[in-house]
Amino acid sequence: MTILLMLLGLFALVLINVPIAVALGVVAAAAMLIVQGPDILPNTALVMYDGATKFPLIAIPLFVFAGAIMNAGGISRRLINLASALLGFIKGGLAMVTIGASMFFAEISGSAVAGVAALGSILIPAMKDKGYSTPFATAVASSAATLAIVLPPSIPMIIYAVMAQASITQLFLAGFVPGIMGAVLMMIVSYFFARRYNFPVEEAFRLGRVWQTFKEASLALLLPVIILGGIFGGFVTATEAAGLAVVASLLIGFIYNELDWRRLQKALVSGGVQTAAVMILVAASALVGVFLTEQQVPQQLAQRITEWTNNKYLVLLLLNIFFLIIGCFLHSAAAIILVVPIVMPLVELVGIDPIHFGLIVTLNLAVGQQTPPVASVLVTACSVGKADVWQVTKVNVWFILVLLFVLVLMTYVPALPLAPVEFFYR
Amino acid sequence: MTALETFSRGFEKTLELVTMLLMIALAVTVVVGVSFRWADNALEWYDEVASTLLAWLTYYGASLGALKRAHIGVPGVVAAMPPKYRFPCMLLAEACVLAFFAGLAWFGVMVMNVLEGETLVTLEYVSLSFTQSVIPIGAVLYIIAELLNLPQIWREATGRDEVLVTHS
Repeated sequence: MTILLMLLGLFALVLINVPIAVALGVVAAAAMLIVQGPDILPNTALVMYDGATKFPLIAIPLFVFAGAIMNAGGISRRLINLASALLGFIKGGLAMVTIGASMFFAEISGSAVAGVAALGSILIPAMKDKGYSTPFATAVASSAATLAIVLPPSIPMIIYAVMAQASITQLFLAGFVPGIMGAVLMMIVSYFFARRYNFPVEEAFRLGRVWQTFKEASLALLLPVIILGGIFGGFVTATEAAGLAVVASLLIGFIYNELDWRRLQKALVSGGVQTAAVMILVAASALVGVFLTEQQVPQQLAQRITEWTNNKYLVLLLLNIFFLIIGCFLHSAAAIILVVPIVMPLVELVGIDPIHFGLIVTLNLAVGQQTPPVASVLVTACSVGKADVWQVTKVNVWFILVLLFVLVLMTYVPALPLAPVEFFYR
Repeated sequence: MTALETFSRGFEKTLELVTMLLMIALAVTVVVGVSFRWADNALEWYDEVASTLLAWLTYYGASLGALKRAHIGVPGVVAAMPPKYRFPCMLLAEACVLAFFAGLAWFGVMVMNVLEGETLVTLEYVSLSFTQSVIPIGAVLYIIAELLNLPQIWREATGRDEVLVTHS
């Protein structure tokens, strides 16, 4: 009964626009007061402090910081030039460049919102100038940016790994196949649009131009090598790799001599606020977690569902539907923090690999970043492209279908994303 | 510029500075920690200090987030309501936020008193009361930020302005 009241209370508070972190704190404190009495309440301060000290989550502000430095240091332009030299010869070249540059950016920053803000502000106006429709230009920039949370490093993957106590490194590795597959399929969709609406070719393919742009971007391309090489090579943890990425991006910024300090300052502040918004949710969820664990709620939920079915593919279908729905209404970090600790016992009970499940959660939330009403990346893209959300969504449906196809494939053919994990780590 | 606007601006600038410094301190701590570990001379305080900095960034950054109204929420439903329903909802929401952080500040002070005399495990000259002080201080700062936003929230609640819909 208390749990039902908690859920209803949480739902009501969130609907009246209480920040989700505060809503979690209020319902947890109320439940503790009712069930355990007022003496337990001072513990809320202790738990809220401990909840904000999870070491692996230090990677979040550091990746945001590194991304901010790179963005203020001329990297976006260099990545776009390289992508243009590589992909600009295809019909609809600028759309291909957008997807390619988003992939490069995704390997440095773990945030899709940062990606679409950095690249969209250059590429959406450029596409419009070349005759692309505003909804298409915005849709392709928005969906391509979402690859940032599927390809490593990914902030939602870090949060999932902490909440589910899974390996960040293995989860990052599992993201490669769906990330690359998603990008290729988005390019195919863009190509069909380009044929239909006669979008132009950007530039002829010339090896000399590829070499020149590669040289210009070579330092920036070192960053993914440092981040991913360090993590997968076992030299550093994800947190430490994020720290090194900060130093490397600062050095590269100095070498390029293009660091815009004012922009960097602004990005640092907004990065700190973004981190705090996620971390206070984590801290408040620790409060709910303590209560739910004491009441054995996740275990009871797992038991109830397995009494009905223990077919893991059916459970995966249910979880996919659930995550797709909440992804439309919740920020990805909030969805992971709220749901993952509750469903993990069920996931383990029916024998789903936690790394596989982490990838499925991430892909679901990648779709959620594109589906209104709460679609953080789409809304940022629309704001950058000065486009109407619903007009963009009509075009974006095709890219959302790509993401859904990848989701279904990765859900029911786990060997695809897990093959590299099995090969290197098991 | 009114006295309230001047205070609000100064408050925002101070929180921005603290947030920036904490981000930089966190990065420096992690880089120093990795460097020493690679030099086979791991710093034993590294994990504890970095975790403390993250907690500080969380609560000082959260106060700044409150001032900028950047916390993760679902504003769409309230924004779509007519003002006569919106007003009580927004009032209740504000009351919840203020009550929660007032309670957190109160309990935070109680915890600080209980922890008096205890120190970090790896740095015995840093007291736990000091590290935990971020909870009551952060909670009070959050309340101040919320109160500074109250006039704007009031205008939105009464339908004079549109409800701010942010996506962090």
